Amino acid sequence: MKALEILEEAYDALLGRLFEDAVQPALYALGLMHWSESAFEWIEFSLFGLLSIVVSYAVCRPLEAWRPVEAVRDRRAIRTDIVYTLLSRLGLLPILAFVLLSFLKIHWEGLVADAGVIPPTLETLLPWLRDWPLLAFLLYVVVLDFGEYWRHRFQHMFRWWWALHSIHHAQRQMTFWTDNRNHVIDDAIAALWFSGLAVLIGVPPAQFPLILLILTVIESLSHANARLHFGRVGERLIVSPRFHRVHHGELSAGEKGRNYAVLFPVWDLLFGTADFDSRTPARTGDPDGPEALATGGWLRQQTEGLRYLMRSIARPRRSGGSQPSGTD
Amino acid sequence: MRGIRGSLVALLLLSVGLLPGTAQANLVFVLNSGEASISLLDAARREQIRRIPVLREPHHLVLTPDGRSLVVGDSAGNELLFFDPATGELQRRERISNPYHLDFSPDGRWLVIASLRRGQIDIYEAPGEDGGLRLVRRHRFPHMPSHMAFSPDSRTVYLTLQGAGRVVAISLETMEVLWQAEVGPEPAGILWHRGQLIVGIMGRDHFAVLDPELRQVVRTIPIGRGAHAIFAAPGGQVLWATSRVDSRVAAIDPESLRVLQVFEIPGGPDCLAFDAEGRVWMTLRWVGRVGRLDPETGQVETIRVGRSPHGIFVHWPRGAEGPAAPPSAQR
Repeated sequence: MKALEILEEAYDALLGRLFEDAVQPALYALGLMHWSESAFEWIEFSLFGLLSIVVSYAVCRPLEAWRPVEAVRDRRAIRTDIVYTLLSRLGLLPILAFVLLSFLKIHWEGLVADAGVIPPTLETLLPWLRDWPLLAFLLYVVVLDFGEYWRHRFQHMFRWWWALHSIHHAQRQMTFWTDNRNHVIDDAIAALWFSGLAVLIGVPPAQFPLILLILTVIESLSHANARLHFGRVGERLIVSPRFHRVHHGELSAGEKGRNYAVLFPVWDLLFGTADFDSRTPARTGDPDGPEALATGGWLRQQTEGLRYLMRSIARPRRSGGSQPSGTD
Repeated sequence: MRGIRGSLVALLLLSVGLLPGTAQANLVFVLNSGEASISLLDAARREQIRRIPVLREPHHLVLTPDGRSLVVGDSAGNELLFFDPATGELQRRERISNPYHLDFSPDGRWLVIASLRRGQIDIYEAPGEDGGLRLVRRHRFPHMPSHMAFSPDSRTVYLTLQGAGRVVAISLETMEVLWQAEVGPEPAGILWHRGQLIVGIMGRDHFAVLDPELRQVVRTIPIGRGAHAIFAAPGGQVLWATSRVDSRVAAIDPESLRVLQVFEIPGGPDCLAFDAEGRVWMTLRWVGRVGRLDPETGQVETIRVGRSPHGIFVHWPRGAEGPAAPPSAQR
């Protein structure tokens, strides 16, 4: 407990220094002091992004070294994934979207308030939750995870969305860094989806970074190059590296997908997409996708991903599948 | 004999909680706006004794005119929470639209609530015996209405409009807008002081003194960059002002409006409150702490609370307040 308090104090001191010495003077110089409170929140979110990378590395890297699923053959591919992670978690797309949507929500609530209505939250709908803040927090996580399950299914279901998502599945050298390997348009949609739901159910702003931290660390772990099985019961409670590697297997690309859950496999159980039996597949990747999505650098993958999206929209649907054909 | 009698009187006063400074422990309420909670501190031991969860984002608080309730506005939670100021027990909640800053008119008749983000200024009839609030008038100002002050006769409420660089005056007789006056970029705190309004100009390094008759700034009081909020100490002997960028707390002479002393206090001092011993309590917004300044020695002690602490209130035990220093002066 004492150690946690020391960590929290150090974190707050760092945040305070950063804000007081760098951000606030800049806001003052730019005449933007009335945004100082929002800027403070934003800096806090940025630090959380950095923290999530550190925690993911500390948890996943030793596991990958201990029991790797496969030998590392392509370090360049991993380096590209590291670029994705830095851009995504420090680029803070989800947080920016959350802030933007919060403002929209505030204006919308203003209009609603004029009509005499005060928008609810989970705690006002279920007042007993006020006395159980941890349970309320878990409920928010469950609702958000349910939203993520369906977003992931739609990524595989819709032809245009799969074209964007295939960058994520193209990786043949999957490690915990692969989690953030996404097209920027896909990231933007994901941010709007996740944050929209967060705002809709009234997630407290103070809890949002913590939810994000838990989700990102578990998502990183689920991509780890680690031969890790959580046991018969554990596999059904939390998404494991084995469970998610089955999802990334060559035979699971596109509409044929299984194991879509991000945090709780219960959604796959409920909607008939769970696969608890398959062993850890030796090969990951999307054999039908453009080669550049697997082997190109960040920029090449982004431009090729955009072309792939355009082709998927322009070309008529092929019979028997929803995926655009790979040409590279 | 006199000594024994004096001791007996002291014992009697102590038993009914009337002896200044030695009665029950002072409670300090701190609103953790970034953490959806209220820290309850024991002022004597200078430590947190309770953390009260709220829904979303508590910012400001005010004592009811009868002193029986401390009203906390949870802006993003759309709630007012009523607490017993002596014990910290929750008395009741009231659903209300986005209460950011709030205050009662001096006659206790009106409760005015500003919604910074939603651009509303709401005037309610103060809660009666039944406890209910009735919205009398809503003004829309898409310029971040922020802090407020009243004329002593309760006829007018003045609010800063952060996004517009103006102060707006609203009549509490007709409920109509009377006038608006330019004061400088990003005004925040505002205080009625001897027929004038002193306004923190957050986009500059000074407080502006606005004459409500002329509707003009008649002078400025330099404090430091990011001049923010200003409060009258109980008894009105000193005015205390904060600046958030230069991170200062300044004592101002109420007669001459001259700066008497400046204390450099890192952490972004924001709202202030005063204890019965004359010490100044402040929320240090950017470091998750409150500070307690002893003006005599200049010593500052800090206590850890939650993230982004904003509003603060120090409860005075019975008997600690003199006739010139009502606790309501700490708003």
